[in-house]
Amino acid sequence: MAGVLKAPGAFAITPHKVSVCVLVQIYASPSQISIPFPFSSVSQHNRLGLYLLALTKSCDDILEPKLEQLISQLREIGGLLDHWLTDHLTSRLSSLSSPDDLFNFFNDMRGVLGGPDSGVMEDDQVILDPNSNLGMFLRRCILAFNLLTFEGICHLLTNIGIYCKEAISSCSSYELRRLDDSDIEVFADPKSEHNDKGRESSSYSSSGDLLRDVDLNGGVFLRTNWQIQGYLMEQADAIEKDGSSFTLNAFELTLRQLQKLAPELHRVHFLRYLNSLYHDDYFSALENLHRYFDYSAGTEGFDFVPPAGCNSFGRYEIALLCLGMMHFHFGHPKQALEVLTEAVRVSQQHSNDTCLAYTLAAICNLLSEIGFSTTSGILGSPFSPMTSVGTSLSVQQQLFVLLKGSLKRAESLKLKQLVAANHLAMAKFNLTHVQRPLLSFGPKTSMKLRTCPVTVCKELRLGYHLISEFCCEGSTMTTDGAFSTAWLKNLQKPVGSLVLSQDNSSRDNSNPFLFCTQPSSIPGSVLQLVGSSYLHRATAWEIYGSAPLARVNALVYATCVADASSSSDAALVHVKLIQHLAVFKGYEEAFSALKIAEEKFLSVSKSRILILKLQLLHERALHRGHLKLAQQVCDELGVLASSVTAVDMELKIEASLRHARTLLAAKQFSQAAAVAHSLFCMCYKFNLQVESATVLLLLAEIHLKSGNAVVGLPHALASLSYCQSFNLDLLRASATLTLAELWLSLGSNHTKTALTLIHGAFPMILGHGGLELCARAYIAEAKCYLSDPSFSVSDNPEVVLDPLRQASDELHVLEYHELAAEGFYLMAIVFDKLGQLEKREEAAASFKNHIMALENPQDGEDPLSNA
Amino acid sequence: MEEDEVIHGDFYLLAKSYFDCREYRRAAHVLRDQTGNKSVFLRCYALYLAGEKRKEEEMIELEGPLGKSDAVNRELVSLERELSSLCKNGMIDPFGLYLYGLVLKEKGNENLARKVLVESVNSYPWNWSAWSELQSLCTTVDILNGLNLSNHWMKEFFLASVYQELRMHNESLSKYENLQGTFTFSNYIQAQIAKARYSLREFEQVEVIFEDLLRNDPYRVEDMDTYSNVLYTKECFSALSYLAHRVIMTDKYRPESCCIIGNYYSLKGQHEKSVIYFRRALKLNKNYLSAWTLMGHEYVEMKNTPAAVDAYRRAVDINPRDYRAWYGLGQAYEMMGMPHYALHYFRKSVFFQPIDSRLWIAMAQCYESEQLHMLEEAIKCYKRAANCNDTEAIALHRLAKLHRELGYPEEAAFYYRKDLERMEAEEREGPNIVEALMFLATHYKAQKRFEEAEVYCTRLLDYTGPERETAKSLLRGMRMAQSSFPSMDVEHFHP
Repeated sequence: MAGVLKAPGAFAITPHKVSVCVLVQIYASPSQISIPFPFSSVSQHNRLGLYLLALTKSCDDILEPKLEQLISQLREIGGLLDHWLTDHLTSRLSSLSSPDDLFNFFNDMRGVLGGPDSGVMEDDQVILDPNSNLGMFLRRCILAFNLLTFEGICHLLTNIGIYCKEAISSCSSYELRRLDDSDIEVFADPKSEHNDKGRESSSYSSSGDLLRDVDLNGGVFLRTNWQIQGYLMEQADAIEKDGSSFTLNAFELTLRQLQKLAPELHRVHFLRYLNSLYHDDYFSALENLHRYFDYSAGTEGFDFVPPAGCNSFGRYEIALLCLGMMHFHFGHPKQALEVLTEAVRVSQQHSNDTCLAYTLAAICNLLSEIGFSTTSGILGSPFSPMTSVGTSLSVQQQLFVLLKGSLKRAESLKLKQLVAANHLAMAKFNLTHVQRPLLSFGPKTSMKLRTCPVTVCKELRLGYHLISEFCCEGSTMTTDGAFSTAWLKNLQKPVGSLVLSQDNSSRDNSNPFLFCTQPSSIPGSVLQLVGSSYLHRATAWEIYGSAPLARVNALVYATCVADASSSSDAALVHVKLIQHLAVFKGYEEAFSALKIAEEKFLSVSKSRILILKLQLLHERALHRGHLKLAQQVCDELGVLASSVTAVDMELKIEASLRHARTLLAAKQFSQAAAVAHSLFCMCYKFNLQVESATVLLLLAEIHLKSGNAVVGLPHALASLSYCQSFNLDLLRASATLTLAELWLSLGSNHTKTALTLIHGAFPMILGHGGLELCARAYIAEAKCYLSDPSFSVSDNPEVVLDPLRQASDELHVLEYHELAAEGFYLMAIVFDKLGQLEKREEAAASFKNHIMALENPQDGEDPLSNA
Repeated sequence: MEEDEVIHGDFYLLAKSYFDCREYRRAAHVLRDQTGNKSVFLRCYALYLAGEKRKEEEMIELEGPLGKSDAVNRELVSLERELSSLCKNGMIDPFGLYLYGLVLKEKGNENLARKVLVESVNSYPWNWSAWSELQSLCTTVDILNGLNLSNHWMKEFFLASVYQELRMHNESLSKYENLQGTFTFSNYIQAQIAKARYSLREFEQVEVIFEDLLRNDPYRVEDMDTYSNVLYTKECFSALSYLAHRVIMTDKYRPESCCIIGNYYSLKGQHEKSVIYFRRALKLNKNYLSAWTLMGHEYVEMKNTPAAVDAYRRAVDINPRDYRAWYGLGQAYEMMGMPHYALHYFRKSVFFQPIDSRLWIAMAQCYESEQLHMLEEAIKCYKRAANCNDTEAIALHRLAKLHRELGYPEEAAFYYRKDLERMEAEEREGPNIVEALMFLATHYKAQKRFEEAEVYCTRLLDYTGPERETAKSLLRGMRMAQSSFPSMDVEHFHP
């Protein structure tokens, strides 16, 4: 009833528990020999023991198994004994025919337990230790029985009757129910004939059906509270890991049944909230979230709430934290920030430091994920203890202060997972932001306005370090239960399947691995953090421009933690690996890898895989000169982003960057420049400096192509300086190359400058650059030589021909017709100068082929047909 | 009919006697071989009631750690089978249909249940039980309009009752008043009219009706909880205690009785005792909506917010349209300093009762709170409140003030004037009048509309306090400005 919490451990005696008691009695029958009567070996005896343990702990369902299920499992474990076991069990159960039999039965059970004075016992004697798991179970059963009223005993007796009967005639009762349903249908028809006055007559059977499925028939019992909580926790983990693998309605049905059977178990509403959250049902999620916290006052379920500090005011701040994260999930940044602000205030008011730490982390996450141009008026008074420096700070500075504060809080509260997560967030911040002095007045220490890779590395390491010294924070409920569940599930598998499946196929690879990791003491959430640190590393190296290191980290992730990771993280890693393939191995390989990834992440909604596919298609269409398709793909990419301002920034930037590049390829220079310019303004507004570097470089390229080299130069230089501040080495090399091209286009007297620039960038480009970049560099180098008046081709033809050949090889893989044509054109000129006419014709023919291909773009397979 | 046969009549009479003694299974057993419509109905109905009785007992016996396991009426399956086959063969009378509808409803087959019940009331309209069951299945106006009911005066009773349940109070009231023309002395209609008027917040008339009703029907307990609510709002201590005493003597174990006592203790400020009685009411009827809500109010008074939230939430889960409970939830969260979270509940409450100014005002105050400070939204809510007959006259005043604070003097003047008119009409006195006059005087003066300004200034002179002096100096300033046209700075002429 209102405001009163139920004791969580309450325990009701059910027919299934009586069965387990019977089995425990067999397992631990008092005898003088080491292997009691029916068993023939110690391992057989132990197997039954393990099975019983698993029965009392596993949390794979909400309902207790029926007798027939129990019997079929007994067959699995009993081996030669199975007949004896099942016969004994059923005869023992059916012998319980009056309340007095039950009294006697539980009296007998007492004999199974060793007394408190049985500490000194002979070695060989089998006596159940009252404090062992099974002993405790037995004691609880006996206690629960003793607490029953006479009516309760009568119910138990009736239920045991139903339980046994169902095992015998399980199929016939099903038949009966079917018959029941068909009756209604038969009835409905003549009825509607009787008075069909324009009413719909076909709709009756539908609404009742759902309810009828949930409808209880006698022998359905919930498992123990402990097992159900474990089940719900596992389901919650599973939903958060991969929500799309749950079907909304199937799980909803289970939850509804659970709610019907246990109306005071409010956790159900939370699971409902999660279920609708991950199926993008906003209203239902909102409703259930409120309902859960109204009933539970935030004092049910959450592990990090210390039970001692449970005050009577409830912990509604947790509700706010969840609500804030929900709004974040649905892409409502403003509401999310408002709610989280309220969460901060209420947490402070109720001095719930743990919640405060988590809320701050959530706010940091929000601020870093979603572009806020200003937080003034939102991050107001409640933040003043944290941002005491004043409110004149920029969003980034506020974020920095909040991150620091959040980290400190998490450290002092010893919330190790949060600390690790905060370190990762800090690393991410350091990766993309230059540190600036927080004070706008007073003496300033000189600061280099650069990001510091060492700091990033340090933060990533710190995060990892804490995970490696992880000690169990949460309860042992799930790991213990999960182990039992896994053990029970493996009953069905024949022995040796473990070995077989390993070399079976790559698809089943995860199964044995999963089984191995289950008993390990590292919970899934920790593994997820480890995984996300690898993801951060991969991204960091991507940004710094080391392709091999980025790839290695992604591979480590994919091989080691992919099973524990959430499906969206796993998809991200695949995206990274496939992008790498596309850049270094060409589209063919990338698309075949994409096909595999698509199958694997088929169900993931709003998938990164889809975005990747569009990216690759766009890239290829541009290279092939298929501009219409490119524009179409580009538009599709733009549509995927949310319409709310500042949400899905990454995708929006990507889409408009690609739009500009499509326009550039179509030689609509002024429009391309306009798009790129507005994009730059957006990046500037939201302080996205890494992206700014890219956009500036694009602007430089647009001016280069449009013949405005003089205008292009400052853009290229600006991009270079961004690259320097943010240590974007590869992008810097690329910018250097563009700069060289710009110089080159200014006239032959700048070739020396251009050549020096290219040669300076070469190590980076050849070491880490993709096919396109390398080819561009080679061609630019050749062009430099060719336009240098002091260079003579006939003296040193290989200096020009070698890079051109390299370039044409690489461009062939990419199917980049325009650049390839240019390469062959240059080659033809060189051969002409050398007087090698045959080779000149060959190069010219290749040139012609590429130009033709460029002008009549035709696609063998329509790539969008399966999109 | 074959019941004419004496022997069958004897069986029926024996069974009926058992039935009246509440020995349901015994009654059913006596009729086991009877095939007449009346006997079949009595047998089935007895079985149904036996199942219900057992269900109620089991609900208590089976109460588990996580709440009650759902006890079910175990007779439903066999009853449904028997009645459906009877129905299929056309061998069923309207009473049988009623029972069949009841069984179908319990089994969750609502569409068919509705259809069967409609057939039952169409062929025998005087069975109010059937109408009641039908009413519980009409949860929306659309469903109601979809029913194919033949015309009969019983239908009017039904419609009036359904309208009340669907919160269409005016429609309900007019139906009942029509009916009262025919059934002049019906206590039932009188009580229903009182309830409808209560929902329309016409407390004075409700009190009169209930007084009259109690005179005619002194041992009535039904609907007296509504009367006690009226007495509570009017703070009639002794009348409420008298009523409580009276119902206790009549029947102590009625949810209504407990609720009345709860109300009395609440009025006396003894909230713990009040909760005890609301709890008792809920023990007697777990789905007693207003008891949950009232208990929530008591917990709010006792500053036990989680318990209040829980109680309110149970009320809205029983009936999601209960705007009072939504409002209570909002208030509870606002009390805990969570205005943003509270907004969700206020929104719900105004959604279900958009004509209640108090709800809009509560929501506006939430927006206005220091933490949210969303004044534009607050203004929108106050406007809604002002449009739906804001008896406490908070909205206009707040609207004027907010507009003034936000720097919209024109709008502020408009609302001050309206507020002033209203206060004059209701002959109110108080600081709000002075405030309004003061603002209007200065505002019109700044606008150079001296005539209006002068009117307000003169009115201010009737009040004591610093405003009076200000008004005097304003007047002086205006006279100066008017006399020495073109206007000059008044200050210079003062010594």
